Amino acid sequence: MKRYFYNIWETITTLMIGLGVTFGHLLRIRKGNVTLQYPEERWPQPQREIGFNLDRYNVIRSRLHVDIDDCIGCLQCSRACPVDCIKIEFVKVDKGLDIGTTSNDTKKRLLVTRFDIDMTECCFCNLCTYPCPEDCIYMTGGPNSRKHPIDYEYSTYDRSDLIFRFSNVDPDQVARLTGQNELKVGGK
Amino acid sequence: MTITWLIEWVNDSWLGFLGLPGAFILAVIIAGLAIFGLVAVHAIVAVYVERKVAAFMQDRIGPMGQGPGLHAGKWGLLQTVADALKLLVKEDIIPAAADRKLFVLAPFILFLGAFIAFVALPFSESLVLADFNVGLFYILAVSSFGVIGLILAGWASNNKWSLYGAMRSAAQIISYEIPAAISLIAVILLVGSLNMQAITSAQSGTVWGILPNWFVFQNPFTFMAFFIYFIAGIAETNRTPFDIPEAESELVAGFHTEYSGMRWAFFFLSEYANMFIVCGVAVVVFLGGWQSPIPGLMTGRIWGLFWFMGKVVFLVLIMMWIRWTFPRLRVDQLMNVSWKVLLPLAFFNLFGAGIWSLWLD
Amino acid sequence: MGVNKTEEMVLNIGPQHPSTHGVLRLKVQTDGEIVTSVTPVIGYLHRCFEKHCENITYQQVIPFVDRCDYIASMNNDFGYVLAVEKLLGIEVPEKVEYIRVIMAEMNRIASHLLALGTFGLDVGAFTPFLYMFRDRERILDLFELTCGARLLYNYMWVGGLSHDIPVGFVEKTYEFLDYFEPQIDEYNNILTFNKIFIERTADVGILPVDVAINFGVTGPNLRGSGLRWDLRKDETYSIYDRFDFNVPVGQGIKGSVGDSWDRYWVRVEEMRECVKIIRQALDMMPRDGDVKAAVPKRIRPPQGAIYSRSETPRGELGFYILSDGKPKPFRLKMRSPAFTALSVLSEISQGWMISDVLAILGSLDIVLGEIDR
Repeated sequence: MKRYFYNIWETITTLMIGLGVTFGHLLRIRKGNVTLQYPEERWPQPQREIGFNLDRYNVIRSRLHVDIDDCIGCLQCSRACPVDCIKIEFVKVDKGLDIGTTSNDTKKRLLVTRFDIDMTECCFCNLCTYPCPEDCIYMTGGPNSRKHPIDYEYSTYDRSDLIFRFSNVDPDQVARLTGQNELKVGGK
Repeated sequence: MTITWLIEWVNDSWLGFLGLPGAFILAVIIAGLAIFGLVAVHAIVAVYVERKVAAFMQDRIGPMGQGPGLHAGKWGLLQTVADALKLLVKEDIIPAAADRKLFVLAPFILFLGAFIAFVALPFSESLVLADFNVGLFYILAVSSFGVIGLILAGWASNNKWSLYGAMRSAAQIISYEIPAAISLIAVILLVGSLNMQAITSAQSGTVWGILPNWFVFQNPFTFMAFFIYFIAGIAETNRTPFDIPEAESELVAGFHTEYSGMRWAFFFLSEYANMFIVCGVAVVVFLGGWQSPIPGLMTGRIWGLFWFMGKVVFLVLIMMWIRWTFPRLRVDQLMNVSWKVLLPLAFFNLFGAGIWSLWLD
Repeated sequence: MGVNKTEEMVLNIGPQHPSTHGVLRLKVQTDGEIVTSVTPVIGYLHRCFEKHCENITYQQVIPFVDRCDYIASMNNDFGYVLAVEKLLGIEVPEKVEYIRVIMAEMNRIASHLLALGTFGLDVGAFTPFLYMFRDRERILDLFELTCGARLLYNYMWVGGLSHDIPVGFVEKTYEFLDYFEPQIDEYNNILTFNKIFIERTADVGILPVDVAINFGVTGPNLRGSGLRWDLRKDETYSIYDRFDFNVPVGQGIKGSVGDSWDRYWVRVEEMRECVKIIRQALDMMPRDGDVKAAVPKRIRPPQGAIYSRSETPRGELGFYILSDGKPKPFRLKMRSPAFTALSVLSEISQGWMISDVLAILGSLDIVLGEIDR
């Protein structure tokens, strides 16, 4: 009998405490609100001051981007990728022909005819960005926003639009520089 | 404004050629449309308020669609209107294995139970559609009518979840009717009438000169009866913590798992209509109906309507508050609460109220 | 009940059901509301993790380990890199050890918050779930600050970390801990000591300690049954021996030892212990040092096998790696704690009601990504 009334009493008190908690939140909604009204407001982007003072830091994982002019076709990124979403093909340039240098003053020897990143396959592990000797593959935004602005919502109407083709070499150029029409395919 | 007044009004107007039967039908249609409008507006507003209240309690801000057009107005004010329109044009899916006739019928039966109870609610001094002398009894009787709709919906869906939901709700509503009714009898004993207006009028004046003479404050037994009735009322409307018939984490959506579009909206409509009825009865019986909280201040027809609606909305808000705070009970615990706690308390209450009324005489 | 035996009905809970925590299917045999047997059907999320690992390098395995227990990726990474480092014989720098412990414990809080929140959701309380998610978001913000990802971090590397902690991380973490500790009391007020919640969970789904040991249940589920077994204490790895913390066990405060409420309560108490550990680690952490100093250029372990285990929020996570001296593992076996937790479900949920089965499932805190792998 005592237990019966104690149970009722415990129910009433604990439920009242619970009601108090929610009512407190109801009153304090202006302070406690955590909703971000997405299209109008955006998440504050991490700024340089909070510690991305080293250029090698690459801590935004939004979308892979390649500065194709700097790519030397070393296939390091493609090898590092655990899901094989980076597809690179290149052709050897004939000896003596100059196809320019990268921003790190490395002489380019290979013409990258295909550099496709399938972002539908990408698992955003960031493993490809580390081995790159020219720092030309990176996730956009954050400390890299100087190179390429952040791309939060790279949504498209078509799935195939998420395959990013970075190579800007046209077949004529290939034929001119290599003296052959057949592409000699390297890489994966 | 009773139904007889409406019939006379129709009869006296240029529609008098319809004769008495025609006037009667027309008056009923007018009254029905008015109630339906009230129910629909209440559901739309209450869904919006519920979403906002829930959001604020959870540190969110709820529907906030901005800008012009149907998308929803500022502060998401038109959100539920947009939702209702969407539900109207949605495809109406009837499962192949369902019992077609009953499946179609069920939401309307459920809605009817809540709908016809509105007839006897006194909204203000003169605004009651049918001023029965058994008004309270009538409301209790017809509002348990809806459970047939629930069982039909669960059975006709031919879905195991729905069946479970239907069986649970049948057991639940039947067991919670009893403490609810018994707690109301405590008041009926004191008033000596089942007429809603008589019950309201019995609560005019003050207790101890400060509090209004409502039955919540009048004596300790009616005070307790109010809480018993309110808890049982929450259970009758299938809301958390007693929402086991539609428990979404157990039974997906319970009895309305298979429903979609407008039929599903009718379930929602009747849930909110039921809330209104339960709160309306609580207001009339325990909170003085259309009487002003400060006796003599702001009385009259319009103010009466205002006080009645204000009190109902207040109780509805408390229901929402409870819903967004508590977990859900289990089936057997739900029965325990009804049979082992509420019912003995209600009987004790009834006994006490009887002695109280004798002692007053 | 036994007398009024009715026709039994088979109820399929899942794979699409609001409270199966992923894509689990439970074949439930019911007699009215009473459940007579439960058969979990798993495999809907099978991704060939173990076979896949045989075809990728040791470093590339980490993103996949992340995806096994996606609620506590840091802890999974931690367990995996410990195993590979043991195989390689690498000593990692002091700072790396501290950062790893901080991250792992933060992720333990985040994981417990999700476990408790969804448990609340399973018994019908919606609001605590959102409070817990709100605080979990703050932890994820800290992770995002550190490594750019919010869920699948790929943060711990063999021999080091992918990034150093950013400037201001330590202060922000202290700030979070100060904010978080009072929040635990709020959860207790709204959910833990709520009578309805206690009624729903206390004395429900009692897991006796001998059954738990027989089934190989580990982690908070085992501790909820009253056995003080925590690998961080009993088989110290990394630098856990330097910290002062308790291992909470279920005591049957509201019911009997090993019920759902105890499993819940152990997680609540563990969050407080995590806060303690993080505070100590932040105080003791060396402020400078290269986190990549010990990262090997090529990971090519010698021939041999290793079994290494660590304590994740769900229990004992073991990695058995067989190396044939090539850059890819010859065989990798993962011992997942959630799998054993799920296997005990059919044992302890017989005779309870449908609602209880889902509450028990919630209290076991399973992650299907880890069970199916």
